Amino acid sequence: MEAVLQNVANAAELLAVAAHSDAVKRWDASRLSRAFHWARYCQQLHSKVHNHATMRRDLEEQLLHTNGRLQTVFPGYEGVSLSDLSRCQHLLLVGLMNNPELPIDLLKLLFDPKSPALFPHNELAGLCSGIIQCKSACTVLGVFPDSLPCGADAEVLGLVLMQRLDALLTQDSDVQPAEHFLDSVLQGCEGAAGRFCLAVAAALLTSPKSQMQTASQDFLLDWLQKPHRELQHMCSTLPTSLLRDLAKAHQKFRDSYYAVLKCWASGMEYSVDEGEWVHTSQTVTFPRLVEHFLTLLELHPGLGDNVEQELNALKCSDGDFDVRGLSVWGDLLSALRRGTVG
Amino acid sequence: MFPLQQQPHMEDSADPLVTVQEMQFWLDKAVAWGQAQTVETQRDTCQHLSRLRDFTQQLLKHINSMASTTETMKRLPLIGQFLGRLCWIPSVTADASSRSLLLQCLWGLFSEHPGSAVERKANQWIRTVLCQLVTEEDAKVEPLIRQMGVAPKDYHLGVLRKRLALLQQTFEKNCNCLADKNQRCPHDDSLAVSESCIPLVTCQEAAPLINTLLQRPASCISAALSEDFLDALNSAHSRQSLLLEEQGIISLWYHNLPSLEEAVLRLLESVLANNESSPQKLEQLLEQALLPKACAQHCSMFLVVNDIFRSFLKQAERAESVHCLIHTFTRCFLRELALVPHQNSVPLKALFPQSPQSLLMPLLTLPSEMHQEAWRHHLKWLSDSLKRLTEEEEEDDRDGSRSSCLKSHHRVFEAWFLLVQCVHWVQLTAQLLVTSETQDCGPLLWLFTFYYHPTNRGHHRASQLGHAKEALDHLRALFSPLNPPLPVGSLQSVMTLLSPAQQQQQQSLSTLLIINLLVNFAVFSRQSLIGSAEVLQMVVDQSGLLNEAARVLVSLELSLNRGRHLSSDANRVQLRVQKLQHTLTHMNVPEQHC
Repeated sequence: MEAVLQNVANAAELLAVAAHSDAVKRWDASRLSRAFHWARYCQQLHSKVHNHATMRRDLEEQLLHTNGRLQTVFPGYEGVSLSDLSRCQHLLLVGLMNNPELPIDLLKLLFDPKSPALFPHNELAGLCSGIIQCKSACTVLGVFPDSLPCGADAEVLGLVLMQRLDALLTQDSDVQPAEHFLDSVLQGCEGAAGRFCLAVAAALLTSPKSQMQTASQDFLLDWLQKPHRELQHMCSTLPTSLLRDLAKAHQKFRDSYYAVLKCWASGMEYSVDEGEWVHTSQTVTFPRLVEHFLTLLELHPGLGDNVEQELNALKCSDGDFDVRGLSVWGDLLSALRRGTVG
Repeated sequence: MFPLQQQPHMEDSADPLVTVQEMQFWLDKAVAWGQAQTVETQRDTCQHLSRLRDFTQQLLKHINSMASTTETMKRLPLIGQFLGRLCWIPSVTADASSRSLLLQCLWGLFSEHPGSAVERKANQWIRTVLCQLVTEEDAKVEPLIRQMGVAPKDYHLGVLRKRLALLQQTFEKNCNCLADKNQRCPHDDSLAVSESCIPLVTCQEAAPLINTLLQRPASCISAALSEDFLDALNSAHSRQSLLLEEQGIISLWYHNLPSLEEAVLRLLESVLANNESSPQKLEQLLEQALLPKACAQHCSMFLVVNDIFRSFLKQAERAESVHCLIHTFTRCFLRELALVPHQNSVPLKALFPQSPQSLLMPLLTLPSEMHQEAWRHHLKWLSDSLKRLTEEEEEDDRDGSRSSCLKSHHRVFEAWFLLVQCVHWVQLTAQLLVTSETQDCGPLLWLFTFYYHPTNRGHHRASQLGHAKEALDHLRALFSPLNPPLPVGSLQSVMTLLSPAQQQQQQSLSTLLIINLLVNFAVFSRQSLIGSAEVLQMVVDQSGLLNEAARVLVSLELSLNRGRHLSSDANRVQLRVQKLQHTLTHMNVPEQHC
C-alpha cells in the first residue's frame, strides 16, 4: 500500500512538472515516452483500486497532501483528484501542450505520424495527429441525422455509465460508491446536464446482456427517484418519444414518470390573465403536460381506465365541477378525452 | 476558377510559387467553410480538397524557400490567418494528407531562434493553435466526460465508431427502389455521405463504411456515389494507403473506370519494366492480383482490360513479356470464372464478343480436357480455320473495298489475339512438331509460324513459312538420334537463320520461333539427353540467346506441371527439362564471373 501511495504521489508530481515546470525543456523522446508509460501505469492502478472504499480514502488523502505541497512550488497547479488518474495520459498531454517550454522536436514528434529519423519507432509519434483526425471525422459525420433515439455521443456515454456502475456494484454489496459516482457526475456536469439526461436514457435503453447489467439499470432507476429531482429534469428535457421508449422498457420508469406528471399537475394554478393552467415553479406548460399524459396512455392502453379513475377521484375531491379553470384534474380529463393537445 | 494572374507589385518577385490572389481565393473559401458546419459547406470543402492540397503544397514550398518567417509574413501577410482558419475546418483536418501539409506549414513558420517580435509572436501562436486543436472540447460535453473519467481520445473514437457503424447499417439495408419510386430509400444519402467520406478515405475506422458504400446494391436507383470520392479512393489506392478489403477494391474498379485503367496499366508497366522477370514470377504476381477475380465478377471489367491488352499488343506484337502476361492473365481469369456461381455466369460470347465465335470454344478448351489422340486433329482444324481467315484477308487486300479490308484485318487480329490468350495450343504445336512425321507437319508449322508472324506485312508469309520449314528440318537433323556425329551443315544453317544479318531482313523468321522449336526439340526429341544438351548449349552459346531459351524452358516446365503433358513418358520429359535447365544455368555461371 505504501508503494501505491508513493506512486500516486509521483503521478501528481509528474503532471505538475509536465504542465508547469521549465525542466520540460530538457526532456528528450525517451523521457517523454517514460512519462506516458508512467501515466498509463497510473490509469491501470486507478482502475484496480478506485472501487475499494478504504484504498480510495487513503489515496484521496495522499493526493490532498501532495497537491498542497505541489501548489506551493507551482502556483498555477490546480491539483489532481483520484478520478483524474483514470485519464492520466490525457492530463499529461494537456499539461505538456500548454507548457511553452516543451521542446519543439517533441511537439513535432507528437504531431507527425511519420516521425523523423530522430525518433524511430516511437509509439507517441503522431499521437496528436490521430486525436485531431478522430475529432474532425466525428464532426464531419455529425452533419448527418443520427438514427439513434439518444444520439451517438449519448450512446457512448451511456455505455460508459453502465460499465462504471457494473464495476462499482460488482465490487461491493454497498451501493454507496455507485451513488457517490452518480452524484458527483451530476454535480460536476454543470452546463452539460442535458447530455447527462441523454446518457442516462441511453444507459437505460441498452439491452442488458447480463444479470449484472439488469441490476445496474435497476439501480440507476432507483437513483433517479432520489430527491435531487433528476427524474423531473429528464422528463422535462427529453423528447416525449424517448420518454415513451424508456417507459416501454421499464415498468419502474413508467410509474415514476406517471408520478412526476401528477406532481406537475398538482403544482399548477389557473391564470385568469392567460386563460391557462401554469406551473408555479416548473417550466412545464399545460399543453405539454397533456402531451406527456397522452404519450403514457398511448403506450399502455390498459392504463387508461386506472388513470381515468384516479383523475376522476381527484376531480371529485376538487368539487367535481365541469367548468374550465376550476380543477386541473377536470381540465386534464377533458383534454385527454379529446385526445388532443391544448 | 481562381485567378492565376499575379498582382502588379508581385511581378518583380523572384518567387511566383504562391500569388496574393491565390491566397485571397483560398482564404475566402476558408472563411466560407468555417462559417457553418452544414452538408453544403462540407460538400464544397470536400470537392475542393484535392486542389487545396496542391495549393498547400505550393505554400509549403514557398515557406521553405524563404529565409525567415518575417520574410514569409511580409510576402504573404494573409498566411497566418489562412492557416489558422484551415485548422478549424474538420473536412480539412480529417484528411491525412491535408492535415500533414497544414502541420508542415505551421512548422515551417516556427522559428527555432526567433529574431524579432513577429517571430516570437508567431511561435507562441503556433503552440496555442496546436494545443487548442488537440485539447479543446465542446463545453456541453467536456464536464460530463471529465466527471465520468473518460479520456477525450476514447470518447471521440467511440462516437466516431458509432456514427460510422450507424451509417454502415443504413447502407447495408435492402431497398425496394425499383418497385416503388415514391418510397424513401435508405441509400438516398449515399451521394452526400460518399462526399463527406472524401477526407476519410485513408482513415482505418472508416474502411468498413467505405466498403459498404462501394458495394451498394445494383438494384438501387438512389445509391449514387460522388465522382470526387471515387477519385480520392483511386488516388489513395495508387499511393497504397487504402485500407479496403478485396471486394471494396473490386467495386472501386467497377464504379470508377480510371481506377481500373490505372490498375491494368500499373500491371503492364511492372511487367514491361521488368522484362527479365521469369514466367513463374509473373504467374505468382497474377495469382495474388485481384484483377482476374474482379474481371470474373464483372464482365464489363474484363472487356475493358482486354481492350487495354489489345491496344498494347497492336503496338508491340512481338513483345514476349506482354504475350506472357496476356495468356497468364486469361488463364487466371478463366480459373476465377469457373468459381463464379452458375446463376451469375455470363456466356463466353459476351466475354469475347470480338473473337471469331467458331474459334472461341476450340481455343478456350484446355489440351488436358481432350484426348491426346485428338490433339493433332484439333490443331489441324485450328490451323485450317486460321489459314482460311488469312486467305480471306489476302483476297480482300487484293480486290476488296477499304472497309472490307479493315474488317478482314480486324478478324485476323482478333483470331490471333485469342490465340495469344490461349497460347497453350501454340506450346502444344511446338511439341507435336518435334514428335510428328515430317509429312504431317504442314498445318502445325503454319499455325506455329502464324503465332509469331500474324500480319502479312510486306507479303512475306510464304517466305517466312519457307524459313520455318528450313529451321524445322535442320533442327530435326540436329536432334536426330540416328545421326551422330553432329551435322555441321544443319548447325550452320540454324545459326545463319538466327544471325543478326539475317534478322535485319524483312522476311526474316522470328528468333523466338526458332528458339522455341530448339527447346522443344531438346526436350521431346529421341536424341539422348547428353546429345540434346550439347546441341542446345552450342546454339544458345553461339547465338547469345540464353535468356530467351531459359524463358521458353521455364514456360514449358510450368505448362507440364499444370498437367498438359499426359503422355506415358512424363517422367522422362520432366527429367530432361530439369537437366536442360541445369545446362543453361551452368552456362550462365561463367558469364556472370566474367
